[in-house]
Amino acid sequence: MESLLLKIGQNLFLIFAVMALAGAAVMVFARNAVHSVIGFLFAMLSVAGCYLSLGAEFMGVAQLLIYAGGIVVLFLFVVMLVELSKAREARRFQGQTPFALLLVGAGLVAFVGIFWQTIFGASATEPLTLSQNLVSHGETLGNAQMVSRGLFAEYLLPFEILSVILLVALVGAVVLAKAERV
Amino acid sequence: MPSMNMVLIFSFLLFSLGVVGVLIRRNALIILMCAELMLNAANINLIAFARHSGTVAGQAFALLVMGLAAAEVAIGLAIVVALYRRKNTITVDEIHLLKG
Repeated sequence: MESLLLKIGQNLFLIFAVMALAGAAVMVFARNAVHSVIGFLFAMLSVAGCYLSLGAEFMGVAQLLIYAGGIVVLFLFVVMLVELSKAREARRFQGQTPFALLLVGAGLVAFVGIFWQTIFGASATEPLTLSQNLVSHGETLGNAQMVSRGLFAEYLLPFEILSVILLVALVGAVVLAKAERV
Repeated sequence: MPSMNMVLIFSFLLFSLGVVGVLIRRNALIILMCAELMLNAANINLIAFARHSGTVAGQAFALLVMGLAAAEVAIGLAIVVALYRRKNTITVDEIHLLKG
């Protein structure tokens, strides 16, 4: 029992990754838009688990709050608003589906080839590793402290630009979704 | 700790699922969701590389990407709602306003 738990603990990332891929597959291939949103929610929760198992606690919680808490609800809201008639997907340009799948398959093969080369091939390099701790100026702090230090000290300008972008997006969304001018 | 290769392969698979969704689905909402999925795959890479280099830059940028994704969703959903008001459909095949 304990060995099983230990094994699960060691492979937490793998478990969450498989769950995220399953959720994403449900999202892409579900017929009903609500099912797609549920798959999206599942994928986002699993990705938050991946963040946590990569040691990025702050990012994991932020993912939970922003995606699972905000964006999924927003999507669900618009699906309920729009999809009342359960409009079936028209099949006018569906002729491009085989080409799309072919293209993605070709990309997949190319990337698998590259991965194979770098992992097993003759030019195989030392595999990249993940270090245990983040360090800033030689000291080790909690994850949230580290992220805030990076965000508000080293990358302050991008952060401020992002806040302006968010303001513009807010105003733009209000203007776009406003009813026809009265 | 998972190996770096595992993380990279996982994020690649997630990204390609997003690309497949954008290419084959005709529902504007689902296309938006697939774009979110691709941003998430990039975020996983950023966090893994932050872990690799031992610095915080990757995580800070992942947070910025997350904020940008939220802005994108707000704009995208506003466009979808406006389109639905105007054309009564959100199927991207039937939205060809530029075609004369």
